[in-house]
Amino acid sequence: MINHRMLHRRKSSLGNKVFVFLNTIFMVLFVIITLYPVWNTLVLAFNDGTDALRGGLYLWPRKWTLQNYITVLHKKNLLVGAYITVARTVIGTLTALAANALLAYIVSRKRFIFKRQLSLFWVITMYVNGGMIPVFLLYKGLGLTNSFLVYIIPGMVGAFNMMVIRTYMVGIPDSLEESAQLDGAGDLVIFTKIISPLCKPVYATIALFCAVGHWNSWFDAMLYNRMNSNLTTLQYELMKLLSSVSNQSNSVESMKNAVAAVTPTSVRSAATILTMLPIVCLYPFLQRYFVTGLTIGGVKG
Amino acid sequence: MASIGKVKKERINWKEIKKQKVLLLLSAGYVIYGFIFCYLPLAGWLMAFENYKPKAGFFHSEFIGLGKFRQLFLDDGFIRVIRNTLAMGVINLVTTMVAAIVFAILLNEVKSQGGKKVVQTISYLPHFLSWIIVTGILHDALSGTGIVNDLLVRFHLLMEPLNFFAYPKYFWWIVAFANVWKETGWNAIIYLASITAIDTALYEAAAIDGAGRWARIKYITLPGIKPTIIILLLMNAGNVLNAGFEVQYLLGNGLVQSVSQTIDIYVLKWGISQGDYSLGTAAGIFKSVVSITIILIANEMAKRAGEERLF
Amino acid sequence: MRRKQITALLVTGAMVLGTISGCSKGTAATGASSKEDGGIKEFTAFFAVPGDEINDDNEIQQHLAELTGAKVKETWLTGQTAEEAVGTLIAGGEYPDFICGSDGTSQLYDAGALVALDDYIDDYPNIKNFFTKLEWEQLRQADGHIYWIPQFNNSYEKDMQTTHNDEAFWIQTRVLKWAGYPKITTMDEYFDLIERYQEANPTMEDGTKNIPYTILCDDWRYFCLENAPLFLDGYPNDGSCIVDLDTKKVKDYNTTPTAKRYFQKLNEEFKKGIVDPESFTQIYDEYITKLSTGRVLGMIDQWWDFYVHVNDALKQQGLEDQGCNYVPLPITIDKGVKNRWHTSGDTLNVGSGLSITVSCKDVRGALKFVDDLLSEEAITLRNWGEKDVDYLVDQDGLFYRTPEIRMKVSNTAYKASHLCPYSYFPVWTGMSQDGINAAKPELQPNEFLDSLPTNVQECLEAYGCKTYVEMVGENEIPGPWYPIYTFVGTMTTATPGGTAWIKMRELKHEYLPKVVMAPDFEAGWDEYLSAYETCNPQAFLDEVQPEVDRRIKIAEEAAAN
Repeated sequence: MINHRMLHRRKSSLGNKVFVFLNTIFMVLFVIITLYPVWNTLVLAFNDGTDALRGGLYLWPRKWTLQNYITVLHKKNLLVGAYITVARTVIGTLTALAANALLAYIVSRKRFIFKRQLSLFWVITMYVNGGMIPVFLLYKGLGLTNSFLVYIIPGMVGAFNMMVIRTYMVGIPDSLEESAQLDGAGDLVIFTKIISPLCKPVYATIALFCAVGHWNSWFDAMLYNRMNSNLTTLQYELMKLLSSVSNQSNSVESMKNAVAAVTPTSVRSAATILTMLPIVCLYPFLQRYFVTGLTIGGVKG
Repeated sequence: MASIGKVKKERINWKEIKKQKVLLLLSAGYVIYGFIFCYLPLAGWLMAFENYKPKAGFFHSEFIGLGKFRQLFLDDGFIRVIRNTLAMGVINLVTTMVAAIVFAILLNEVKSQGGKKVVQTISYLPHFLSWIIVTGILHDALSGTGIVNDLLVRFHLLMEPLNFFAYPKYFWWIVAFANVWKETGWNAIIYLASITAIDTALYEAAAIDGAGRWARIKYITLPGIKPTIIILLLMNAGNVLNAGFEVQYLLGNGLVQSVSQTIDIYVLKWGISQGDYSLGTAAGIFKSVVSITIILIANEMAKRAGEERLF
Repeated sequence: MRRKQITALLVTGAMVLGTISGCSKGTAATGASSKEDGGIKEFTAFFAVPGDEINDDNEIQQHLAELTGAKVKETWLTGQTAEEAVGTLIAGGEYPDFICGSDGTSQLYDAGALVALDDYIDDYPNIKNFFTKLEWEQLRQADGHIYWIPQFNNSYEKDMQTTHNDEAFWIQTRVLKWAGYPKITTMDEYFDLIERYQEANPTMEDGTKNIPYTILCDDWRYFCLENAPLFLDGYPNDGSCIVDLDTKKVKDYNTTPTAKRYFQKLNEEFKKGIVDPESFTQIYDEYITKLSTGRVLGMIDQWWDFYVHVNDALKQQGLEDQGCNYVPLPITIDKGVKNRWHTSGDTLNVGSGLSITVSCKDVRGALKFVDDLLSEEAITLRNWGEKDVDYLVDQDGLFYRTPEIRMKVSNTAYKASHLCPYSYFPVWTGMSQDGINAAKPELQPNEFLDSLPTNVQECLEAYGCKTYVEMVGENEIPGPWYPIYTFVGTMTTATPGGTAWIKMRELKHEYLPKVVMAPDFEAGWDEYLSAYETCNPQAFLDEVQPEVDRRIKIAEEAAAN
C-alpha cells in the first residue's frame, strides 16, 4: 500500500510538473497578447502626436513627450466632470448593488410563490427597449432630465447583474436560512446578516461591474444633461475632446471644418490611459473579496 | 452547490401569502419600478407602426400598420444582415464563453497568489480600451505589412502577404478573435468569483481520494460553476442578435460588406441617417421578439435537462 | 473598524456631492433662457458637427463680450450622428438659442423649431449686406421664409484662395522634379509618369519602398475612388452627378465611357503593381500614416482631408527636402478637355446655416450679436486674434506672424484658453474690411508664401505659378444650381430618388474595388453595370433635375427684378 501511494505520488508529480510548466507558458503568452494593446496605447500616449502619424510605434516611444496628457488635462471642465463621475460611481454603485442584491435575494427564495413570474418579468427587460426617444420623453416627464438623479435612479436595477447574484445565492445551502427562520429571523434580517456576508465574491464582482459602468458613462450625460455643464461626467468631457469624424456627412463644409478638429491618436491614447488608471487602482481593494471557499464553518450535513 | 433539501411546491393560499408578506411587499416595489422604467417606454413601439416624425409626435404621425416591417423583410439586404448578425453572434458567444471559462479554470490552478493577481489584473485591461483603439491595432497587425503576415511568411506558411480584410471568409473569425482578445479577462471575472464559492473541503477530500488535477477540474470545478455557466449561456443567447455595431463598423470595408454589416449598421444607414425612426424601432422590435423566443426555448431546454434556469 | 469609518465617510461625502450637484439643477443655464450676467447677455448654441469647446474663461471670448455685449456657450456634436442629436432635441422640445443642424437641418425645419428671420434682416445692416439680394432669395424655403444664414464661403471684396482646397490628382514634387517639371494634363500621362519614376526610383532615400498610387475608400471618403469620372470629363464639382453646362441636364457620371476608361486604367495599373493592393481595406488612419511617411507618389483626394496632418509630419521628419509635398495637377481624360477642378468665387450652401430657435427668448438680441460679429473689429479678433499677441502689424498696416506666434496658435491648450473664432457663426472670408489684409491668416499672401516648403516653392516657380490654385487654373461658377450636391445631401429614403441614391452608394462601395481588382476587366465591368441598374439610378436623376431647374428659375426671376 505504501508502495502504491509512493508510486502514485511520483506519477502525479511528473504530470503535475508538466501541467504547471504548460500552464505557466500559457499564462505568460496570454499576458503578452493581452497586455500588448494596452502597452501600445501607453507608448502612443507618451509619444509626440505628429511623430506618431508615421506609424511604426510598437514597444517604446520614439519621441517622448508629456504634451498629450497636458492637452487632455487642460480642460477646465474636466475637474467638474471628475467630481460628478466620482459621486455617481460611489452612490450609483452602492445603490445598484443594494437594489440588485435585494431583488436577487427575493427571487432566489425557493418558497417564494411568485419567484418564477418575477424572474421572467425582469429577464424580459434585458431584451426589450423602447428606443432613445421614448426613454428620453419618460425621463423628461419624471423630471429626471437636467439632474444628477438621472445617473442613479434609472440604472439601479439591472436584470443581468441581478441574475448573477441570484445564481450565487441559490448555491448557498438552505439549511442556513432554515435555522435562522427557526430562530425567528425575518427576511430582511436573513438577507443582511446571513446571506449577504456569504456573497462577498459576487458582490465584489457586481460592484466592479457597476462601478466601471458609471465611471465610463457619458452618453447619458450628453443626452439628458447636455445643457448643464455642472452635471457633466469625466468621460463626456473626454469624449468631447476625442472628436473623430466617423460618420458620413453630406455637407462638405462641415467635413472641411471638422477634419481640422480631429484629435490625433496620441491624445486619444492619453485620455484612455488616464481613464483606466483609477479602475486599475480600484481592483486591489476588491481583490480580497475574491477569497477561496465559503467560510461557513461547520454547516455541513 | 446543489441544494440539500427537496423543493417543496408552495400552494398559493392566504396563509402562505401572509407568511411571505415581506417578500411580496418588496416585490411589488420592484414591479412598480420595473414597470415605470422598463415597460412604460415600450409604448414607444408605436413608432414602428407609424411614419414617425418628431414634430408630429406619437399620436399624430401617420399610421401605416405593418408597412415598415414589410419594407424590412422584403429587402434582401436586411435578410442578409440578419444572417450576418446571427452568425457573428453565435460564433462570438461560443468562443468568448469557452475562452473565459478555460482561462478562469487555468488561472485558478496557478499556485502563486501574487502571480495570479498580476495576471488577472492585466487580463481585464483590454476591456477598457475603446474599440477604435483595438481595431486600429488589429488592422495594423493583420495588414500586408503587419506582424501576422510577417511571421506567416517567415515561417513559410504563406508565400506572400495576405490581406485578411479583403476576403469575406475571414471576417467573422477576425471579429471573434477581436472579442476574445478584448473581453476574455473581463468575462472570466464572474467565473473566478464562482470558483471561489466552491467549498475547499471538496478539493481536499478529492485529493485524499487520489484524484489528479484533471479529475478535480472535471468533477469539482466544472460542476461547481455549472449553474453560472448555464445562466450566462441563457442570458447571452438572448443577446445573440446584438452581435454588435462598433467592431463591424470599424473593421468592415466595401469588399467584405456583404458579410460585415449587422442589423445595427443597417439601421444606422437606412433608419436614423434618413430620419426614419420608425424603421429603427421596427428592427428593434424584431430583435426583441427573436431574443425572447430564444430565451423561452433555451430556458425550457434547461428545465428539461434538469439544469439551472432563468425562470 | 477604521475601514468601516472610512467607507462611511466616503459614502457620506459622495452623497453630499451628489445632493449639491442635484441642487445645482435649479441654477443651471438651460437652453430656454438667455441670462444676463453683469450686463453681458448669455446665449447657448449647439452645432451638429464635431468641434472643440473653448474654456469658459476664454480671453478673446471675454473681449468679444465686452465689444458686443453678449457671449455664447457653444456645444458640439459628440458620439452621435447629426440626425440623432437633432431628433432627440426635437423630441424633447427644448432647444438652445442658436443651432446649426447640418444634416439635421431639414428635420428642424419640418419640426417648426426655427424662427423665420426675413422680417428682421433689414434691421441689421451687417447681416443684410452679408448676402446679395439674389442669395437671400435662394435661401427662401418652401413657405417663403428664410430660416438659416449660411456661414461660410462668403468672400468680402475678392477671393483670396491660395490653396486648392478641393479635389485633385495630387503628385509629389520630387516626381515632377525628376522628370524636369513636365506638362501633365491627361490621366494617361499622369500614370505614365508615375510608372517611369517608380521604375527609376523604387525606394526612398532610406530604402523603404515607394507606394506609387494609393486610393482611400474608407466609408464616406470613397470619393477618392468614385467621382473621378466627373472631373475627368471636365465638369466642376457638383459632387454626385454631372450637370451639363450647356443643356443644364443632369447626367450620371458612373456609366459614361470616361468612367469605364478610368476604371480600366486603374485595373491595368493594379495588375502592374502600381496601385496599392491595400487600397480597398485600409482605414483612414492607415492612409494618413502612409502619406505621412512620404512614400506615396500620388493619389486623388481633397486637400483638407490630408494636408493638416501630413504636412506637419513631413516637415517634422525632414521629408520636405526630399520633395515629398504634394501639388495638384490639371488632369482630364483627353487633351483638349478643359479642367474645372477649381471653382473660384463663393458658392452658397443653401442646405445648412446658423438658425435661431423658438426657444430663444431674445431674438433681437441674438441677431444683434450675429450682426456685431460681422464687424471688422470682431472679425479680426475672431480670425487673427489679439494685436501684438497673436499677430503683428508692419509699417504698411499688413498683418504678419512670427514662427513663435505660429507655433503658439496651433497649441490646443492655447486655443481653448485664448482664441475664440466663433467658427460656426457667419464670417467673412476673402479680404478684411480694412482693405489691406486678408480676413484670415491662411489667406494672407505673405503669410502663405512664408509658410510654403522650399520644394513646393521651386515646383510652383517651375510652372510659373504663385499659388496652388494657379497649378490647376481658375474657373468661375458654372451656374446658379452649383453645387448641386447641397441638394443631394438632403435626399432621404422618403423619396424613390433618395432610396436609389443610397442603394447606388452601397453598391459602388462593394463593386468598384472588385472592378479594379478584377482579373477580367470586361466581365467585371459588365457585372457591375448590371448590378448598378437594379438600383434604379434614373429615379435619382429624375429627382435632381427639377431642383436644378428650380434653382435656375429663382436666379432668373431675381435677376429680372
